[in-house]
Amino acid sequence: MNSLIIMATGILGATLTYFVNEKLKQGAVRASALLSFIIGLFFYFYPEILNAYLTKNIQIVFIGASFIGMVSATAIRSYSLLALAGSLFAIIYINKSHFFDGYGGALGTLALITLLTTMGFYVVLSRNTKIRYGILVFRKKILRHKK
Amino acid sequence: MKRHRAIRLIMILTVLFVQITFLTMIVKEKYETDGFAAIVLILFITLTMFLGYRYLDLHHEVYAYEKIAVAIWVPIGAVICHLLNVYGGLGSVLSAGTTGTLASFLPTINKQSVYLKNLPAAIYCGAFVGMSSAEITPSVGFVIAAGVLSGVFFMLSKNLFLGIGGKLGTIAFGGVAIVSLIYWLLK
Repeated sequence: MNSLIIMATGILGATLTYFVNEKLKQGAVRASALLSFIIGLFFYFYPEILNAYLTKNIQIVFIGASFIGMVSATAIRSYSLLALAGSLFAIIYINKSHFFDGYGGALGTLALITLLTTMGFYVVLSRNTKIRYGILVFRKKILRHKK
Repeated sequence: MKRHRAIRLIMILTVLFVQITFLTMIVKEKYETDGFAAIVLILFITLTMFLGYRYLDLHHEVYAYEKIAVAIWVPIGAVICHLLNVYGGLGSVLSAGTTGTLASFLPTINKQSVYLKNLPAAIYCGAFVGMSSAEITPSVGFVIAAGVLSGVFFMLSKNLFLGIGGKLGTIAFGGVAIVSLIYWLLK
């Protein structure tokens, strides 16, 4: 259950930041910092509302995923890709090494890794016509099956 | 031109080295605890990341560097965030959020100023350095050193990884990791 909440936090952190950044035109820094400030402030005043694991990690995953949402609209336009990057961020965070615990910027490094991975995966998929055709056939089969 | 190309190559290789080290440490730790699925996932991520490097248009072709007057705000942001985090007891997330939020309003002082527009990113980059725990950053001097090194990286990477989230954090991580290594070697 904790892992699911962490994954949902990752998705929310990335997509909400992107929304505030690009749709509300607040800029990347304010979008990430302001949302993280609100989350940090909430857990600062209500540290007992959730269990110790979630209280500690929700804030960290949120600010980390918010770095993904700082991406410009020229690089990523799709919310589903951001959600994928956010959930990937959360998965790696759950499995992360403790070697770099306490190092500033580690979350940003993880955000860049997940964003490059997601964008790279998308570009390869969209460039490869065979894979695209395979996805189309798969989609058609599923839709037909549903009917 | 050759010098600019060399600087760019060094910066990209540094980022790549940081990312590979980061992922390698995860694989190493998971290998010790027999997390086979996690290892496969990390290897898949590494492969896809390389595809990203290969096919994505990540860097601007023009060689350009950030001004020192802007980069100097990286160590300033680092010290402010460190003071809030370690001495103020706000915790890393709230400290970085506070520093970044205040920095994001600096351009409103004078909306015509190009200089002020560049400051939020520099200060927020510094805030990531200041997010380091007290165990990693034993003194303000350490934070200033890591902030200055991150400021140099910030200056050199102006036209690299344009518009990609996580760039500022990676710069900060590079600064903190290298200064930690030097500190460890000198100790």
